Amino acid sequence: MSANNDIHDVLIIGSGATGSIAALVLAKAGHDVVCLEQGGWIEPGDFAHLHNDWAWRRATSWNPDVNMRSHPDDYPVDSDSSQVLMWNGVGGSTNVYGAIWPRYRPSDFRKGDEHGLQPNWPITYEDIAPHYDRVDLLLGTSGLAGDPAQPPRAPCPTGPLPFTAAAGRLAGAFDALGWHWWPVEAGVVSEAYDGRPGCNGCGMCNGCPRGSMTLNSRSIWPKALAAGARLQTHARVLRIETGADGRATGAIWKNRITGMEERTRARIVIVAANGVGTPRLLLASGNLANSSGMVGRNLLHHTLVAAQIWVDEPVNGQMGYVASLISREFAETDVSRGFVNGFNFNCLTSTPSAGEMTTGWMSGTTAPWGAGHHEWFEKHFGHSIGLFAIGDDLPNPDNRVFLDESRTDEDGVPVIRMHYEPGENDRRMMNYMLDRLEDVGRAAGAFEIALQDYRDANGVYRTPAWHMIGTCRMGADPETSVVNGWHQSWDVPNMFIMDGSVLATGGVVNPTPTISALALRASEHIRDNFADLSGTTRTLAA
Amino acid sequence: MSDSNNRTGIGPQLSAALAALVDELLPGKGDWPSGATLGVQHPVMERIAMHGGEAALDELAAALARIGAPFEGLEVDARVAAVRRLEAEEPARFRWLRNAAYQAYYENPAIVTLIDGRGTPYRLRPHVRGYELPAFDPATQTPTHGRGHWIRTADVRSVDTSGLNLETEITTKWGLQR
Repeated sequence: MSANNDIHDVLIIGSGATGSIAALVLAKAGHDVVCLEQGGWIEPGDFAHLHNDWAWRRATSWNPDVNMRSHPDDYPVDSDSSQVLMWNGVGGSTNVYGAIWPRYRPSDFRKGDEHGLQPNWPITYEDIAPHYDRVDLLLGTSGLAGDPAQPPRAPCPTGPLPFTAAAGRLAGAFDALGWHWWPVEAGVVSEAYDGRPGCNGCGMCNGCPRGSMTLNSRSIWPKALAAGARLQTHARVLRIETGADGRATGAIWKNRITGMEERTRARIVIVAANGVGTPRLLLASGNLANSSGMVGRNLLHHTLVAAQIWVDEPVNGQMGYVASLISREFAETDVSRGFVNGFNFNCLTSTPSAGEMTTGWMSGTTAPWGAGHHEWFEKHFGHSIGLFAIGDDLPNPDNRVFLDESRTDEDGVPVIRMHYEPGENDRRMMNYMLDRLEDVGRAAGAFEIALQDYRDANGVYRTPAWHMIGTCRMGADPETSVVNGWHQSWDVPNMFIMDGSVLATGGVVNPTPTISALALRASEHIRDNFADLSGTTRTLAA
Repeated sequence: MSDSNNRTGIGPQLSAALAALVDELLPGKGDWPSGATLGVQHPVMERIAMHGGEAALDELAAALARIGAPFEGLEVDARVAAVRRLEAEEPARFRWLRNAAYQAYYENPAIVTLIDGRGTPYRLRPHVRGYELPAFDPATQTPTHGRGHWIRTADVRSVDTSGLNLETEITTKWGLQR
């Protein structure tokens, strides 16, 4: 064991979307901040994008599914259902995400009042609204203010991305149906912003080595490091340590370069390791912060189904940002549909890859081999549009991540397992969503519509789970939640959880904007109350 | 496990058999060259080796031998029937090979150029130069439909869920089976 006796102000575990923001806020305030990251820096050449075989790499070495690639920075995640999409390295999953950037709605925070099948959050939309705007300024979000289906917002720092032919085709379909649509907000700068070049429309939106897409290793970490934060890469945290008073004292981690175990001590510990990594670490730290029994439980992914449509006129969806429009027509609960909660349509352009088009992008529809192949390609490539329907799934304590005590990884940490199965409300919603996707396809004049339910041959729902949330949820009651409204552990008062695991409900949107806004809010709270929080022995309801 | 002597010659044989398979998957037609003309079998073979090592090459050689590749002397119908047999009898292997062949074909610079030349903008490495797209025009592209609503925090009301019967009315047919 290698250790020094320094006690840092703040230890952050994880350098992704939230850990980077916390490092920036707290280092700028003059705090002594250390961040431990199990992976390394991702260099531009490491991305698939700059290689001729980029499409092949997207399916192999650059696959966002940890179980479909072989990368030394990863840890094993054994899922019996979901595809586990994440990246371990500086910037976390922002290295591979698509950066669709919509916000929650006020009702997302009040599902307890609305129907009681989900909890209320201990905070409201209004509590984080200013932080949404300020995160957008930090990251250069592109989009168009004024959506009548959302609360008013400040103008986006960069304007909407180009309105593609696919967007135009879908807008016409939504107009014909009388449904809402709006240009999508994106974590992508549409013009030069803060030293980053504007999007060049390459369409390869799973990470972005040029940095037009918000990549926290480029947009946040340089500022955090300049402010004095220290980032230790290749540092896999094995467990969080606590003292006799129940407060966190720091962490034991493996230096993956030297192989040595090291100890880092801090007055405040922030866990920002995502909805799988955070519960994994807490459970592996002697069931830490889990008096509620909720650590790892209530895993949410969103209800997700999809459609791929092909239209006669070329829409050239291989060009432009991956998403085009969002439709919030069905975002609120209407029990006449047969279920609670709502969903959005995240409308895409298409795959940027001709190869991916032929091998089953989105819907699994593949080009025929043999004599008809080229005719199929001419008819389909450049004519495809993708659509997701993404809804608010209900929590179920049996949907969870948990340790397999019978197996350990190479560092001696029990292997994390994941189980997720949609419930009755979720299944009803997905049926309804698929019907509505067909409506959109027909209204768009598609000559072919292929639906995707993400069920395998055995009927198991294997959703591409970018969104691994809810596993350390926020609440007002220590009996049923893991952290309070300021992300502070009920059980370990100087430990804060800042990632998707704290989301009490999933909303009907991609969660990173909300996770980022929450991280900014919580980091500023720590900054502004550091003296009290670093010495407190009691967590109060927020 | 084959020793190195026994594996002598497997490279050329496998390459020829794979080339024959690739040409059945991606035959030439009009402007479109066949897969083997472009040498698609070479990256496919390399990726098989990367994916599964030498053992995977041996297994593939055996699988292709079982269907008679490289199909010398066979008419079109017989070649197609042989590939269909592989597709039916070893679906996972076939899917992998087909997808690898398709990907290798469409990442070939000659095919990228062909697609682009036919009027569908397409780049070998799109990220490097991107695509020219007109900027969003606020005057003509801002939605004017006025549709959409949201509920204020103070206006969230309890909905009546008594008719949903989520505990008793179970949906057994869902997704594509609905």
